[in-house]
Amino acid sequence: MTLTAEGIFDRLKEELGDAILNYEFREYKMGVKRPRTYKEVWMEIDKNAFKKAVKTIFEIDYPHLHFITGEDIGEVIQMIYSFGLFHEHPWGEVSIVIKFDLPKNELVLPTITDLMLGAETNEREIREMLGIEFDGLKNKRHLFLPDDWPEGKYPWRRDEYGVDDMIKHTHKSVKNIREERGEQSG
Amino acid sequence: MSKVAKTTYYVPIGPIHPALKEPIRVEAEVEGEKIVKVDVKRGFAHRGIEYMGMKRNAIQTLYLSERICGICSISHPYAFVIGSEKALGIEAPPRAQYIRPIIAELERIHSHILWIGVIAHEIGFDSLLFWTWKGREKVLDVLELITGNRINYAMYMIGGVRRDLKESHIKALRDMITYYWEFTEHMKEVFLSDPVYKARTRGVAQVPKDMALKLNLVGPTARAAGLRMDIRQDIPFDAYADMDVKAVVPQDIVGEVRGDAYDATMVRIYEIEQSLDIIEYCIDNLPEGRILAIPNYIALLNKIKKTAGEAIGAHEAPRGEVVHYLKYDGTRDGPSVWKVIAPSYNNINSWGYCLLGAEVADIPVVVAYIDPCMCCNDRVAVVKDSTGKILDYSILHRKAVEKTRALEKELEVRK
Repeated sequence: MTLTAEGIFDRLKEELGDAILNYEFREYKMGVKRPRTYKEVWMEIDKNAFKKAVKTIFEIDYPHLHFITGEDIGEVIQMIYSFGLFHEHPWGEVSIVIKFDLPKNELVLPTITDLMLGAETNEREIREMLGIEFDGLKNKRHLFLPDDWPEGKYPWRRDEYGVDDMIKHTHKSVKNIREERGEQSG
Repeated sequence: MSKVAKTTYYVPIGPIHPALKEPIRVEAEVEGEKIVKVDVKRGFAHRGIEYMGMKRNAIQTLYLSERICGICSISHPYAFVIGSEKALGIEAPPRAQYIRPIIAELERIHSHILWIGVIAHEIGFDSLLFWTWKGREKVLDVLELITGNRINYAMYMIGGVRRDLKESHIKALRDMITYYWEFTEHMKEVFLSDPVYKARTRGVAQVPKDMALKLNLVGPTARAAGLRMDIRQDIPFDAYADMDVKAVVPQDIVGEVRGDAYDATMVRIYEIEQSLDIIEYCIDNLPEGRILAIPNYIALLNKIKKTAGEAIGAHEAPRGEVVHYLKYDGTRDGPSVWKVIAPSYNNINSWGYCLLGAEVADIPVVVAYIDPCMCCNDRVAVVKDSTGKILDYSILHRKAVEKTRALEKELEVRK
């Protein structure tokens, strides 16, 4: 049996209660000759309820993990997890997006690899790109970054731990660089 | 002094290896012919594309997304435009919504035929590789005719497409459809009915359905394991939403699922036929009208600058789902957050599982059966010379210029 976006949200509300700080159903119309709609659930939760929220999703049905990402927004890192439920049903897949703020002095999250083996890839990427530790993650080797990558540097961070000082010319054209050096262009 | 014979051997493959087309490292420990331990290292082609995209405007990032992968050079822009349109509230004109799937399906045809050739090569059947790739030329010619390029088509734009389909293109598409209906029949004969092919792929790289779910597999790899998942079916968009696409799974074709490399071949061949049906539907029902919602790019960038929004864009690429998460903050004309998940990112998860207990000769098949794409999967390359000194951009650029000049001299190119 499949559930609608509202049905899934009701189950989550039942389990999480006040830990859901904010939520929204987003509806998208697709198609030209026979337009139909599908819905996505977007919610902000308390960071302490994160693992419980994920467990609830896994109890509803085995989901598919779309992505894990995060944004450095100053004092905190906003984490975004996106799961797809009922992905074997035409027009039936409901994307559930969970967002929560993680303070920079406490960048630790419980792993979800105990529920989904394949999430190891995602967690290892987030660990090296944003510097978030995953409690219970077994394999903590670099995924994309080289083994000799300097410690305490995280490419997606916008603070002193970021990589802006490591990048010299990425956003300049050859012309710009030559002009700066006082070389003749052309 | 007695010596104990060594029982296991360490076999490192890659990152630079004659058998690999792209850089990745597989470290296997073998006992006789059997693999007892395996470790996969990736990231050798990581170029920090997402970081670059977050510093550029949306149109530049769109073209950048095309360069994530040479084979999926439609799939990444597709997910990018769908995500951007959802985030910005732009709707593409009907004609564009029908042209986009045509190009995407053409890409699927050429990518699947490419894979079928590669798998034939991996099992040591090179004449078959050349035969399948000869058949792939037709679709590449059609792509070149429509878009002007064999890869990196620069066809999509946020809110539509950049080039229209002409009558002559439609005629070429119809010819191509007839050609491929015959070609897939031949492929079924030479691959699926061939006892040697069957012997080399049956039971190899086998993933059961529950394991496919746990490993978060996507695309033909997941469908071969019997999972009916396909973005075009689950959360459809554009013309796919009008035509009820059904995921191609082995249980619908032969009644049983084994989830091995043979099933993966079957799924891909039948998906080529499905793509032909989709293209035919799109050209038969092609609406008239304009092709861009906001034809002026300056106006488009201004709109992006003023709009805050976030969305998920997903497309079913030939190898599986491509997911782009985009966030526009309303202050910049490009995405403030851009996260790309390519199919191989998830599908490489299956290697460790499949290789354990397999034989050494199966490594190429296991590695190839997901149709890995390292440039998709990895997205800061540091180049070092033989002394370990890091070569920076200026040295690489100077060397490239020197080489071009030397070649010009050698070939007596007149300026």
